[in-house]
Amino acid sequence: MLNLFKHELFSRWAAVLGWGIGLGAFGVMYTSIFPQVADEVSLLADLQIYAALGIDLTSFEAFIASTTIQFVPILLGIYAIITSTATLAGEEDDGTLETLVAMPIARWQIVTAKAAAIAVALALTLLLAGLINAPVLAAVSQTVEVDVAPGQLIAVVLSGWPIVLAFTMIGLFLSALLPTRRAASLTLAVLFIASYFAENLSGMVSSLEAIKPFSLFTYFDSSADVFREGVRAGDAAVLLAVAVVFFGLALWAFHRRDLTVGAWPWQRPQPES
Amino acid sequence: MVIIQTHDLSVYYGSHRGIKDVNLAVEQGEVFGFLGPNGAGKTTTQRVLLDIIRPTRGSAQVFGMDCQQEGVAIRERVGYLPGELSLYPTMRGQAFLDLLASMRPDPVDPAYRQELVERLNLDPSRRMKEYSRGNKQKIGIVAAFMPRPDLLILDEPTSGLDPLMQQVVMELVLEAKAEGRTVFFSSHILPEVQAVCDRVGIIRDGELIATERVEALTEQQFKRVRLTLRDTPPTDAFTLEGVTETDRTDNTVRLEVTTGLEAAMQQALTYGLLDIDTLPVTLEEIFMAYYSEEQTHA
Repeated sequence: MLNLFKHELFSRWAAVLGWGIGLGAFGVMYTSIFPQVADEVSLLADLQIYAALGIDLTSFEAFIASTTIQFVPILLGIYAIITSTATLAGEEDDGTLETLVAMPIARWQIVTAKAAAIAVALALTLLLAGLINAPVLAAVSQTVEVDVAPGQLIAVVLSGWPIVLAFTMIGLFLSALLPTRRAASLTLAVLFIASYFAENLSGMVSSLEAIKPFSLFTYFDSSADVFREGVRAGDAAVLLAVAVVFFGLALWAFHRRDLTVGAWPWQRPQPES
Repeated sequence: MVIIQTHDLSVYYGSHRGIKDVNLAVEQGEVFGFLGPNGAGKTTTQRVLLDIIRPTRGSAQVFGMDCQQEGVAIRERVGYLPGELSLYPTMRGQAFLDLLASMRPDPVDPAYRQELVERLNLDPSRRMKEYSRGNKQKIGIVAAFMPRPDLLILDEPTSGLDPLMQQVVMELVLEAKAEGRTVFFSSHILPEVQAVCDRVGIIRDGELIATERVEALTEQQFKRVRLTLRDTPPTDAFTLEGVTETDRTDNTVRLEVTTGLEAAMQQALTYGLLDIDTLPVTLEEIFMAYYSEEQTHA
């Protein structure tokens, strides 16, 4: 299983590099312009629309949280949708999974090796994005007053890992359950968007508050508080618990999957009594 | 010792039939040819043996172990070549073989692996996406044979290969048999089945319609010929021992000949033989002819 894990991780190096650099560049763009726009954005802070959206621009950490951190799970979520649904259903569509399943390795080991490789790849992607931004932050702090240390910034970027991991494991489960990659990625994309809007709308419309706990974005802190108070352990635990539950469901679904058949669950061979 | 055993093995996809009540027994050291048209259920049967697909009804055992309950233990002793081999496009052939070898409990003999690579004239240093269909097939063949498994399950192993390489694969199959290993493979090519198989099974519409020793079948083999004659022969002109007239259009006659080829040719010369064509006969047709013969004698 370790060899399969290594293969799965190594096969993702280009994605880690590409997404890490891309995500890092996105943060660098906002971090580097802060000294030029610091005065202007503080004026925007009084606008009611920003207040309504929960956007705080009164400090560097608030500016970065509003412009960059809150988009980390959204941007990396796209990668999560692509990679998680490409992993089982996608490989089945491509035909590469048949060779793997015919090897002397249990199905749970295949899913575990792939899930672990994705989890590590996501962490490395975020770490790379954080590392790219750390020296830029150090340079910015020479020109304007910034209360965020480079290490703190890296930790906040990495705080996006549990939520992206949770969506990835949901994707892995859908990939093991649904007949095609298309069906899995479409379903996950709908869940992802619905979850994002549910969290946003529930903050603005009081009658929708009841749905707030069901959105994974509720458990991701993209406010300036994450710099000041750190990542909320309870929220991270909820997201990791969701990831573990859906990983378990992915094991279950893949164990009973008829590979190469490409059928919906109700169309698959059902054992007769 | 029975290596593969199935009892009433059936797979349904919803209401769609995969295979139905397949009863099969393959002995140790045997080369068993599994034959049938596309969609007949050959690949489904092979996939059930490897626990890639689960049966709706019945059971399948390999090495005396249940395919579902002890799939990993079975696959430790099986080399599998899928019919539609798909490989990781950016991976190099060498790395792919390394990966598969690393998943096996017993180390793969590097000398034997290299021997396979050389005999198949394969360059494993290239990326999969650069390989032709034939070279991808060679990668699959090396992967299946390199652990020297007790059982080889090969789905159309010579597909996409040139005749020289087809011959190499047949030699590998015969070598496996000589070492007492078992080969279960599907094919459409009659000469290769005749060359290496001890027994063949025909599957049609998901049902195993017959199994028989190859010698018994080839003894009953008939030729199908089409004769173009100058003169139109009378209707009973080819009513001869070992000859059956199956079709006639003007001065063209189609015959199925078992033992009466010489008599049929002499008769054809009487009516001015202008041309003669030998038409292909499928193994299934030989099978059906064999069984109709058996039933006649019964």
